[in-house]
Amino acid sequence: MPSKPSILIVDDEVNVARTLKMVFEHEGYEATTAFSSAEAIELLSNSHRFDVVMTDLNMEKEDIGLEVARKAMDLVPRPVVVICTGFASTLNARAALKINIDYLATKPADLKELTNALNRLVMLRRASKEGA
Amino acid sequence: MAGTNISQPKMALVVHADMGVLSGFQGALTQNGFVTIVARDVPTTLLAMTQHYFDLAIVSSHLAEPGDGWPIAGVLHLAFPKCFVAVLAPETSVLTLQAAINNGVREIYHQSTPAAEVVAAILAELGPSAGKHSKKLQ
Repeated sequence: MPSKPSILIVDDEVNVARTLKMVFEHEGYEATTAFSSAEAIELLSNSHRFDVVMTDLNMEKEDIGLEVARKAMDLVPRPVVVICTGFASTLNARAALKINIDYLATKPADLKELTNALNRLVMLRRASKEGA
Repeated sequence: MAGTNISQPKMALVVHADMGVLSGFQGALTQNGFVTIVARDVPTTLLAMTQHYFDLAIVSSHLAEPGDGWPIAGVLHLAFPKCFVAVLAPETSVLTLQAAINNGVREIYHQSTPAAEVVAAILAELGPSAGKHSKKLQ
């Protein structure tokens, strides 16, 4: 039986992070929260492995979530990388496209759409690993 | 097979409703060493996907109606994960960029950009191995 997928949820709004944690735990994920980009980057630097890294953009400073996304994109194996933001602009969305992240959600996020998308991306990643 | 070096030409797919645009891209891509397949609609695109492996795909976001090119781009990304999928779109808004990211598109270009400029920009993104008459290695 496949193991539970793991997700790192990064958001400086504690209530948002906790709500998303509950949502993804209900979906069968093992969810971890980080309340700043620094905390997230430290977790990602310390050999923690996640199937999904989902980050807000504006935390300690504007668009700092892009740094979390970049850090996650450099990991091997690379997790599914998602940005979930209430402040999407052409500038930060173009930067996210350049990094080649997997998914961009805007707040207030449609949770059904978000969980469906993440489940699909995780399944695809697992299928491609099995076929490798 | 171990030790076999399969050398094939690079394949490109261009999906656009306008024959003139298709012709322009076919010329620009062929000049740069790509074998280019063109499609004007969804059935032709799907047929091409069953017959070839694509290294590069350029898709209009507007085929029969606005936005119907995005799922085509998404399916191309799913079928050929290493394919560089680019979309020609009428604008670069947040929604357009979001559609690009969520469909695995690597870059978007304004629909009025000349074919030669789009191809040159894509080749620059792909790096030196994508140069003229280069061969696909595996």
